[in-house]
Order: sequence, then C-alpha cells, then structure tokens
Amino acid sequence: MAFLPDESRSLPPPPLLNKGSVWLGFVGWLSALADNAFNQRPVLRAGVHRQILLASLGYFVGYHLLKRTEYVHAKVDREMFEYVRHHPLDFQTATG
Amino acid sequence: MAAGLRAVGRWGLTAAAPSLAFTRSAFVVNKPNNAQPNWMGVGLAFGTSAALWAFLIKQHNDDVMEYERRKQERGHKCTGCS
Repeated sequence: MAFLPDESRSLPPPPLLNKGSVWLGFVGWLSALADNAFNQRPVLRAGVHRQILLASLGYFVGYHLLKRTEYVHAKVDREMFEYVRHHPLDFQTATG
Repeated sequence: MAAGLRAVGRWGLTAAAPSLAFTRSAFVVNKPNNAQPNWMGVGLAFGTSAALWAFLIKQHNDDVMEYERRKQERGHKCTGCS
C-alpha cells in the first residue's frame, strides 16, 4: 500500500497542532540535546539551529505519520462496520 | 561513550577515558571546532527548517481544501456523522 492512498484525502486532516507532531517534534528536540550532551557542548544553549532543525523535522514527520494512522484506523473501522452490517444475526442485542 | 565514561570516572567508579569527541568519524581529519560558528551549517539548518515549515503548512492547507471539496462533492446531508 502507498503511504497515503488517495482515499485518505477524504478524511478530515489532523490540525496543524496535533499529538503526532508535538510528540515527534519533542523527540527531535531531545535528540539534538542528546547530541549536545554526547559532544560535551552546553546542552540547551549550543546548536540552537540544530535543535530547531531536528524539532521541525520531527514535527513534519509526525504530521504525516498521524495522517496515515488516522487513515488505517478509519479503514479498519469501515471494514468492521461493513462486517456488522452484513452479519446482523451475530450482533443482535439480548432482547432482540 | 567517552563522555559517559568520563562522567562515571567523576563518580569514582571507573578510570576516565582519554579525551575524544563522542562522534569521531574515520573520515574527519580535524577535531570539530565548536568555538566558531559553522555558518554554512547554520544557514543550511535554518533554511531547511523554514522550507520544512513552509511545505508542512502548504500541505495542511491543501489537505483541508481537498477534504472540503470532496465533502461538497458527496453532498452528504445528515449532520450525525462526518
């Protein structure tokens, strides 16, 4: 399957501020801080351009990964509801 | 690893390793000079970040427009679901 099939564009896109981006942006920033630490540079004050770059990269990747996640969840939900629709006898409530 | 070992050496648990930058590559002859800014690296990093943000914002706006367009096309009337 392609990373983002065409039908994924029928789903509402995640907002620009979303959990995937925030988390991966944070991870990118932390890895820049770790690189500072391992190279014996001041952790927060050194390589701000590097911190910004890695955080932005994480933010970008997070957005696209979240889009794919939401697509996969929506696809599985659709298949489940289709199955339930085709097998009503298996899903009757106790009183029915 | 050298930095980690040196930190452990400070705790007095093991002998400190000789002074080595952590990410020393066989392809680099000089020690990295952290005192002077690597302006090309800084420029590339900021430029790439700006490009990434511009692309992300453009992509998001395109996604929203495409979603709204497809919603119109479908003409879905009920308000219960999306």
